[in-house]
Amino acid sequence: MRKKVSSFLTSKYILIILTVVCILFIGISFFTDRLVAPLRNAVSMIVVPLQKGMNNMGLWVYDEVSTLQEISVVLDENKNLKNQVDNLTEENNQLKQESYELSRLRELYKLDEMYPGYTKVGARVIGTTSDNWSSSFRIDKGSDDGIRVDMNVIASGGLVGIISEVGTNYSVVKTITEDNNAVSGMLIDTNDNCIVQGDIELMESGVIHLSHFKSGITVRNGDKIVTSNISDKYLQGILIGYAKDVTLDSNNLTQSGYLVPAVDFNNLQEVLIITETKK
Amino acid sequence: MKRKIVEFLLILLFYLIQITFGNAISIGNIAPNLLIILPVLFGFFNGKNEGMYLGFVSGMFYDLFSSSLFGFSALIFVYVGYLSGMFYKEYEKVEILIPLAIVIISDFAYEFMMCIGMFLLHGRLNMGYFISRFIMPEVVYTAIVTLVIYYPSMYLDLWLNKEWGKKRKGMLDEGSI
Repeated sequence: MRKKVSSFLTSKYILIILTVVCILFIGISFFTDRLVAPLRNAVSMIVVPLQKGMNNMGLWVYDEVSTLQEISVVLDENKNLKNQVDNLTEENNQLKQESYELSRLRELYKLDEMYPGYTKVGARVIGTTSDNWSSSFRIDKGSDDGIRVDMNVIASGGLVGIISEVGTNYSVVKTITEDNNAVSGMLIDTNDNCIVQGDIELMESGVIHLSHFKSGITVRNGDKIVTSNISDKYLQGILIGYAKDVTLDSNNLTQSGYLVPAVDFNNLQEVLIITETKK
Repeated sequence: MKRKIVEFLLILLFYLIQITFGNAISIGNIAPNLLIILPVLFGFFNGKNEGMYLGFVSGMFYDLFSSSLFGFSALIFVYVGYLSGMFYKEYEKVEILIPLAIVIISDFAYEFMMCIGMFLLHGRLNMGYFISRFIMPEVVYTAIVTLVIYYPSMYLDLWLNKEWGKKRKGMLDEGSI
């Protein structure tokens, strides 16, 4: 009996069977995510805790190494920072006065606060995608923690991206620097709309595309770009980054240039997820 | 069977390193493709069947969190394992250049196909950039990693053979007839 089985199971037959299985998988996943989602969930049940452990280990090693390296740097930095603190306290006092004035004025005009404080959840970055083509990453909170698809993700005050996929104990964040990922933005002071688009070919320079400004307006280097009011997925008024080298296109109708993201994507360790979606 | 479980655990370990430390071990944003190495090595050590098994499992893992269609990497990796298994009978295990060449060729072919699917078909014709900036660095990095892990995995394979030797050699486990 065994001999029969083994004579049937030659490498060629196995190859054909596996090929058919794989093509079947490709065909199904082309149309629906339903087959893959449970598999992803099941695997991440096992993998995510392991990954968290490894991640903590890595962070510990990294911390130990960097503390040793950085003591001399830190002493220098301390001096500079003390100066900076002085400057900032002064600036802060000034700003406080201004914000008191602002809130008084808003009350006066009975305006609602434009950007209400969104509720946020913190999460830790635990992994990347397996290939080099995309800059998505995984975080350790999932649908069990109330995360849903299309929630906005921020870090250090700037927009990181959007939740593109959710499992029970993990979710995948698609960053704004991802190739072909477009975000609708606007100039913070004049509300002129524009499109912010990621591009893998600009990855090294640390900037992304900024386009579709109307031709009549002036955009200076360093102008703040925030998420726009007409976006249907991104909440209004989150800082995306700063404009750079915006020039008139050859069609004389639009202007485009580059955007320097407000977030440092190379050193993301923790992110905040805004637990509201736009609709 | 025990062999397969050990190999499965090995894949899991490599997969965890790939997705957890991917950023940490990457040079210039390029991480090596660790999972394509395993089917090549074990196919070379033990024949086509083993190569295909490792290719299928590691490809499935690779696909879970990659940006391509689910099943694509598994398909390619199965063929990579099969290709590598064809050299099982012809060469000694210490012949390191053969698996190295297979790793280089198959990683290049795999990434090139990914590149076609993701960029070329979308009208991004800047292939020179993608090859020089993404594919070639990854291939080189992967080849270096292969050199590093070749001998450890060869000894692991020898140890596995000694521990749970192929008692039924020639019946179920024979790769190339």
